[in-house]
Amino acid sequence: MMKTFKMYLEFTRKSFQRSAAYRVDSWSRIIGNIMSLGIWGCIWFALYHGHDSVENISFQSMLSYILISMALQGIHNAGTPLWEIQYRVRTGDIAFEMLRPYDYPLRMLFTDLGSISFHFVTAILPLYIVIFALFQPDIPLSASQWGLFILSAALGYLIRYSLELTFGLFTFWLIETGGVEDVFYFSISLFSGSVVPLWFFPDWLERLASLLPFQGIYFIPNAIFIGELSGQEIWPALLNQVIWLIICYGLLRFVWNKASMKIVVQGG
Amino acid sequence: MSLIEVRHLCKEFKIAKRQEGLTGALRSLFHRQYTTKIAVNDISFSIGTGEMVGYIGPNGAGKSTTIKMLTGILVPSSGEIRVNGLIPYKERRRNARQIGVVFGQRTQLWWDLPTIESFELLKQIFQIPPDRYRQNMALFNEILDLDEFLQTPVRQLSLGQRMRADIAAALLHDPKILFLDEPTIGLDVVAKERMRSFIREINKNRGVTVILTTHDMSDIEKLCQRMILIDKGQVMYDGELTKIKETFGKTRILIVDFEENIDDFSLDGVEVIKQEGNRRWLKFNREVHTASQLISQISEKYEIKDISIQDPEIEVLIRNIYEHNYTLDQVFTDKTRI
Amino acid sequence: MLKSCLRGLKIYFYMVGVSIKTQLQYRYAFVMNILGWAMTYAGTAITMWVMLYSFGSIRGWTFWELLFLFALAVLSWSITMVLFFHFHNMDEYIVEGTFDRFLVRPIHPFLHVIALKFDVGAFGQLLFSIVAMIIAYVQLKLNWQFYQWLVFLGAIIGGTLIQGSMLVLISAAAFWTTRSERLFWALMWPARNLMNYPLTVFPRFIQLLVTFLLPFAFVNFLPALTLLDKTKESFDPFWGFFSLPVGIAFFAICFKIWNLGLDHYKSAGS
Repeated sequence: MMKTFKMYLEFTRKSFQRSAAYRVDSWSRIIGNIMSLGIWGCIWFALYHGHDSVENISFQSMLSYILISMALQGIHNAGTPLWEIQYRVRTGDIAFEMLRPYDYPLRMLFTDLGSISFHFVTAILPLYIVIFALFQPDIPLSASQWGLFILSAALGYLIRYSLELTFGLFTFWLIETGGVEDVFYFSISLFSGSVVPLWFFPDWLERLASLLPFQGIYFIPNAIFIGELSGQEIWPALLNQVIWLIICYGLLRFVWNKASMKIVVQGG
Repeated sequence: MSLIEVRHLCKEFKIAKRQEGLTGALRSLFHRQYTTKIAVNDISFSIGTGEMVGYIGPNGAGKSTTIKMLTGILVPSSGEIRVNGLIPYKERRRNARQIGVVFGQRTQLWWDLPTIESFELLKQIFQIPPDRYRQNMALFNEILDLDEFLQTPVRQLSLGQRMRADIAAALLHDPKILFLDEPTIGLDVVAKERMRSFIREINKNRGVTVILTTHDMSDIEKLCQRMILIDKGQVMYDGELTKIKETFGKTRILIVDFEENIDDFSLDGVEVIKQEGNRRWLKFNREVHTASQLISQISEKYEIKDISIQDPEIEVLIRNIYEHNYTLDQVFTDKTRI
Repeated sequence: MLKSCLRGLKIYFYMVGVSIKTQLQYRYAFVMNILGWAMTYAGTAITMWVMLYSFGSIRGWTFWELLFLFALAVLSWSITMVLFFHFHNMDEYIVEGTFDRFLVRPIHPFLHVIALKFDVGAFGQLLFSIVAMIIAYVQLKLNWQFYQWLVFLGAIIGGTLIQGSMLVLISAAAFWTTRSERLFWALMWPARNLMNYPLTVFPRFIQLLVTFLLPFAFVNFLPALTLLDKTKESFDPFWGFFSLPVGIAFFAICFKIWNLGLDHYKSAGS
């Protein structure tokens, strides 16, 4: 058990080191993240122009929301991108992974953990400490709120990871995922509340969003972070994330097993 | 006047140093150290029209770098190059018209297109007159059987087919000079032979000057009269292939199968270079000893089951040069070591 | 000079013709691609609508005006993608050695790269932008004068050149760093996001930056002022007339930088 864990951790270590080799990558990710943050900050500032609060959300809260949301997105984006998974499926590289004595989805998770921690330590953390110091947004005030936020953010990461890898594996059956892929990306970006929190949605759309797994990715952790979700309200939200994670992970397992069978039978 | 003139050619590269460990990884994010690598170090040679030259050397010896400079892809750090009077890196486009290039590992063709489309595109790009294009296509078709796969996308071709298509593509515009970088790599014996006979054919009948880099020594043996051997960016030997063979041919190998295993075999003027079971490979200089002399000496002492004599293959000779890190002068004067 | 330009054009159209033929071979992929692009942009438009649902307007721009601004950017971007999008793959061409083969051919490598692909899939965006623009035109009850049609045309051609130049510039980076794909996503994506909103949303220095240095403002915002008769902005609507000349000038600069990169590549190798 310990040994297996150590092996996976080795992937993390390797990918951490490898991340450093691509410094243009690192810098361009940071620049991209800062620019996105700047753009969305300006847009929300402009939207709030002449309003004190909209739907009971003050500009201060919204600013905090977009800051933490961008920080989380910066972390998510350091993982293996979807197109790379699809590329590996198309080229058949993924078939080689089947020959190795580890579990591919788990290996990918640990590999991503490496590049993410590198990116987090070298870019996201220092950058956002400075930004938070400058803008003084709402941050968790108690240790328990911090804890719940981190838990919720981790759950959100796992939900997105499961969904994205599952989707990437669909490439086994669809040669061109074109349109489906874009609907998938659009759903993630809108319904996860990555840039527009669910509070501002028209009621019917908000109801729809609450029935989907995506809100667990950014919206719930963000809301916990800025204190909009607090006290007893947090627990059902976390429960929602856990249930969706179980479903998404189950789906990933199911699709992965099907895909493995396909590789074994047809050789990729 | 020679067709290709290379004088004191040098090329240096800057390479980023990899730093060790996790902290090294973090450090290299902000600061990188570079080392200078001299890929080509003062190379000079000249090649005449119609020659077929083997340009050989181990990996990283500077072969590809030289070819890239001759084709105008890279600018030299110093030194002079003239290809049919042109300076390749200054007049790259004019130079491109008089050369054909085949990189064995990478196709020159359009990956997604049916093979014929690549030829048609090259016809446009090189402005090949329609008559000439037709004649060339007909000829290449005849020798290389292009017809069987002209409608197939390049990515679906077998390696042998792809190489045939690639070499035909490189010759379509009637270049004076053909650069072949590993043209037989990965091919099976039949395909190799076919490729070689085609190269011979265009060299003889069309007078195309051929410069060939390869790892396969039999390519050189079967194709080239002349060989330029380079290592660590420098020319180690430039001359006739037969001469190298004659000189090295002074060494011969005697393969002896003994009846029983012999632990302490020794004989004056003979070196055991390999053993396998009861078989021994014995190296000797044929100017000092004759084979029959040695055989009688050995059979006096031991029971012999079988015996054969081998001329060393050129591949073995060349490997010797690299392994012992000799210059060729040393090799020629210090014959007993080989 | 003229002769070699004509020859270049001839080769370009020949290569592009072949590229289109191949793309049409995979009909399913082709349709999916078009559908995908149309949906991506429809998604962005929906996000804008959701955002403005509770707020009404952003810096005095209503949803329909915003949609028009957005569609104008997408219109020229779709043409840019058809012609230039593969430039962001420059790093791949260099690393895999494809670029070296361009250098043993008797045509300018820029011509070779640009002719490499003609991405018909991007017509999906064209489709979206035309539909969105027509809806916005009707909803806003616009009725353009002749000069406004000229500004519109200038914005399309100039916008294509400006955004194409950006891709050329990004691809030139690959000559020095052997990386361009990342840079593309880091620079182009935020820049295009910026263009989706009125420039007055952003701080003054950004407004100056995208007007005078990387002239994205001429792609859609400045022409849109003229086309939507918005006179109360901090820019005069006459700026919108300059999209085309700015596009030509910017392209000339970026092409020059690309050639400098090429020289560097030839002396440094890969």
